[in-house]
Amino acid sequence: MATTVGGRTPPQQSSPGRAGGAGVPRVPAWRRKLRPYLLSVPAVALIIGILYAFFYGVYYTVLNYAATNPNPSFVGFENYASVLGDALFWRSAGVTLLYAVAATGIETVLGVAIALLLNRSTLIGKTFERLLILPLMIAPVIAGVIWKLMFNPQFGVLNHVFGLGSTFDWLSKDRALWSTILVDVWIYTPFVAILVLAGIRSLPKEPFEASDVDGASWFYMFRRLMLPMMWPYILVAVIFRFMDCLKVFDAVFVLTAGGPGVTTTTLQIGAFEDSITNLNYSRGSTYMFLLWIIVFITARYLVSVLGKAQRRAAGAGA
Amino acid sequence: MASVSIDHVSKTYGSGSSAVRALEDVDLSIEDGEFFVVLGPSGAGKTTLLKSVAGLVEVEAGDVRIDGTSMEGVEPYHRNVAMAFESYALYPQKTVFDNLASPLRSGRTGRYSAEQQRQRIEAVTTTLGIDHLLKRFPRELSNGQRQRVALGRVLVRPADVYLLDEPLSHLDAKLRAAMRAELKQLGEMSRTTSLYVTHDYQEALALGDRIAVLRSGRVVQVGTPEQIWREPVDTFVAKALGQPEINLFEVEASGDRLRGAGGALELPAPAHLELPGGRARVGVRPRDLALGAPGGADALHLRGRVVLAERLGRLMEFSVRVGGQDGGEDVIVVADSDAGAREGELVDLHLPLTNVHVFAAGPAGEETVRLGGAAR
Amino acid sequence: MLRERGPEVALARELTPGQKRVTPASVVADLAILAWFVFSLFPLVWMVLLALKNDADQTSTYFRFSPTTANFGTVLSQRGQDLTSVDFGQAMLTSVLNCAGAVLVSLVVGIPAAYAAGRWKFKGSEDLMFQMLSFRFAPELMVIVPLFVIYNTLGVFDTKLGMVWVLQLVTMPLVVWILRSYFQDLSPELEQAALLDGYTRRRAFLTVALPLVRPGIAAAALLAFIFAWNNYLFPLILTDSAATTVTVAVTKYLGGGGQAYYNLTAAAALLGALPPLVLALTIQRYLVRGLSFGAVKA
Repeated sequence: MATTVGGRTPPQQSSPGRAGGAGVPRVPAWRRKLRPYLLSVPAVALIIGILYAFFYGVYYTVLNYAATNPNPSFVGFENYASVLGDALFWRSAGVTLLYAVAATGIETVLGVAIALLLNRSTLIGKTFERLLILPLMIAPVIAGVIWKLMFNPQFGVLNHVFGLGSTFDWLSKDRALWSTILVDVWIYTPFVAILVLAGIRSLPKEPFEASDVDGASWFYMFRRLMLPMMWPYILVAVIFRFMDCLKVFDAVFVLTAGGPGVTTTTLQIGAFEDSITNLNYSRGSTYMFLLWIIVFITARYLVSVLGKAQRRAAGAGA
Repeated sequence: MASVSIDHVSKTYGSGSSAVRALEDVDLSIEDGEFFVVLGPSGAGKTTLLKSVAGLVEVEAGDVRIDGTSMEGVEPYHRNVAMAFESYALYPQKTVFDNLASPLRSGRTGRYSAEQQRQRIEAVTTTLGIDHLLKRFPRELSNGQRQRVALGRVLVRPADVYLLDEPLSHLDAKLRAAMRAELKQLGEMSRTTSLYVTHDYQEALALGDRIAVLRSGRVVQVGTPEQIWREPVDTFVAKALGQPEINLFEVEASGDRLRGAGGALELPAPAHLELPGGRARVGVRPRDLALGAPGGADALHLRGRVVLAERLGRLMEFSVRVGGQDGGEDVIVVADSDAGAREGELVDLHLPLTNVHVFAAGPAGEETVRLGGAAR
Repeated sequence: MLRERGPEVALARELTPGQKRVTPASVVADLAILAWFVFSLFPLVWMVLLALKNDADQTSTYFRFSPTTANFGTVLSQRGQDLTSVDFGQAMLTSVLNCAGAVLVSLVVGIPAAYAAGRWKFKGSEDLMFQMLSFRFAPELMVIVPLFVIYNTLGVFDTKLGMVWVLQLVTMPLVVWILRSYFQDLSPELEQAALLDGYTRRRAFLTVALPLVRPGIAAAALLAFIFAWNNYLFPLILTDSAATTVTVAVTKYLGGGGQAYYNLTAAAALLGALPPLVLALTIQRYLVRGLSFGAVKA
């Protein structure tokens, strides 16, 4: 063919590409190393902006800053002593812990069960699978509003459907915490379920077929094969759920506002009351900072557990 | 003019205990217009070497010079090199045509009108036999077709250096042989300095003006195909070239003869070579061995029993057990099928001393250097 | 012998689609999953029914009534405003603007950071990512209280600007973490090929890498929008009336005192829930990866 392709740069063209000689543009090493940092600068600036507020909040904890005291002074660890010496704080820590453990536990068991059931790909499962996530996508506060309407003793649909009469109060002193946990389960079980379902569907098929040929029982396969391989997915779900429960606010706040009494006052609701309702910024910040420390330590611990599980599952799956 | 010189280049991936040395003091110089092949097993650092020339990995020591100019700190797009990636690296969102047009549209490889682009792409794709695929997307192609598109993206543009990373590895055997024959005939290839990486010794021997053998990030030997084949610098290089692999025997001097394989192998001790401790390794390529009557005193002799005879078309591959029942070793011989040996038969093997390689003795599993041929 | 049972028995059948035989166990399983969906969907169905009831039916718990769509009109009109002192339509609009603004800022700032963290191993990149994640888990009030003070001094209290800024806590970690996982999945050799074709790094990024992570960008953006929309604490404290959002506006209908309007509350809740639900169904395929911050790839 007549056309010449490729080859050296045709001479008539004005020397594209490498210019040759000393005129080659160079990028010094420091500028090359700087590239990822430059790309991160806006994000870092934003983070600093947020951390600024955070540290400001930490600073409040050693002041006696309140709406009634706009010119605060340094009080050392007085707020900490006050909060840690307050039975209400420990009460709300207990409520939060119970809420987190119960909600996370129930959601995990139900979520795994739902994932296993949906994985059977029956007609019912296929029809409804798309709708699984709906409660999860509604604002928790709106979920709280919906359930508050349903919980209503006189006009709520639940008492009517279950024939409980108009005296049964879902949000009474004894039941309020468990009712709020029920709402949490309603919202977040799908979160566990879709994560675990995605995990199950990504498992390799061969080990199951192999042990099936060996005649292993369903339970044996679930316990020895499936569970170890699914464990990292379950753990991711558990970590997200547990951490979120520690700072739970929205749905509980709209359902009970922490009451009756202090039966559903979680740590973040307690802090809200101190800093926003009572306008005692320093005490509220101290509340929050203590919660933040709890969250931080828990996060570190759970993430290290996750790392171990992932390594083990990688071994089990291989 | 675009020579490439790779001056004492080293590269490590990772750090601390997980550090992997990919290149260790690699020193090569490639002449303008040369077709230079780098041969090595996977993990030897071949791809890293190409990417160092391209500027896609930063070398930590040494320098790459193209046309005598140091490439220190020069961005890939200022180096005027083209590369075919082993993973193809075709743009999945673009058609074959647009993939091939990409280097022509960047403005750094020259200015091309739409018509000129079309002409170049047509010419290249016709040569590569992919001109019917221009409107397809990469995901609609076979691996062999993708590989040719990746090669086409290199050939379609002018460049000072072509970098080709296993460009034929995913073609089927027949097409690979055809492409191998065609590649060197291509005008653009013969005009452009090319650095070609492969693990296939046949490609290396067939294509290379010169070959560098790479092992664990180090250059073991550089030379013409003839030199590499005739005088492999050590047992590693000798084994890397040739299929079936070269036969190696431990031998010991006894009088003026070297004996090995329990006495089944013998040859005159090479007077021109110094054998430390009177021990050595002898290398014999399967195709150099001949079956039949002993060939005189100036040859290497082997006697053994045929344990396996496999037909490879016109040729036969024989496994011959030499050196008795227990201490025995298997020798592989490739010979004409009319040699007539059958399984179970005792056969004599011999070859002229000029084709016998003598290597230094060493512990089992360790590569040793070549001392020379058994005859001058 | 075992072969006669076929390659699929027991769990393998549970794991692989296509089971058809009806057994007692399969009936129990079907009933169990059905029970979940009744529990899960009933509150939503009830909300829709309640929203369609007229004032006379609103306190009834019957499922049969003559439906009306008037409640939605009421919520969005002056009467709704009179009842709650919140302009619900305005709140919806504010929410849209807040969330769109917050997502936009997060994308502009987050995409380069996600790309850097996905492509380079550099000092501090892991710290940066962990810091992002910690925002996801930090109790909101920890920053809200000081921000409440800071906003008042800066004059951004009760403004959309203030909300866009604080919503970064919600949208930014999502965007960066999700997109980093997408960039990590993308072979760097594609951009390298573009560099050798003669394109600068910027153009290689814009014309090769960015178009290929478009699904990830869409998923991250929509998910971030949903979570920003659903946020309650930030607007509850950092806005008053001028920049009230949907979530706060919905709760105003519960506000005690005087007569209760259950049907209007349900209608407002439905209006506030609808945008996230619609968006969630459109990005369902990418949801798992997004919700787990890229940890679980479906």
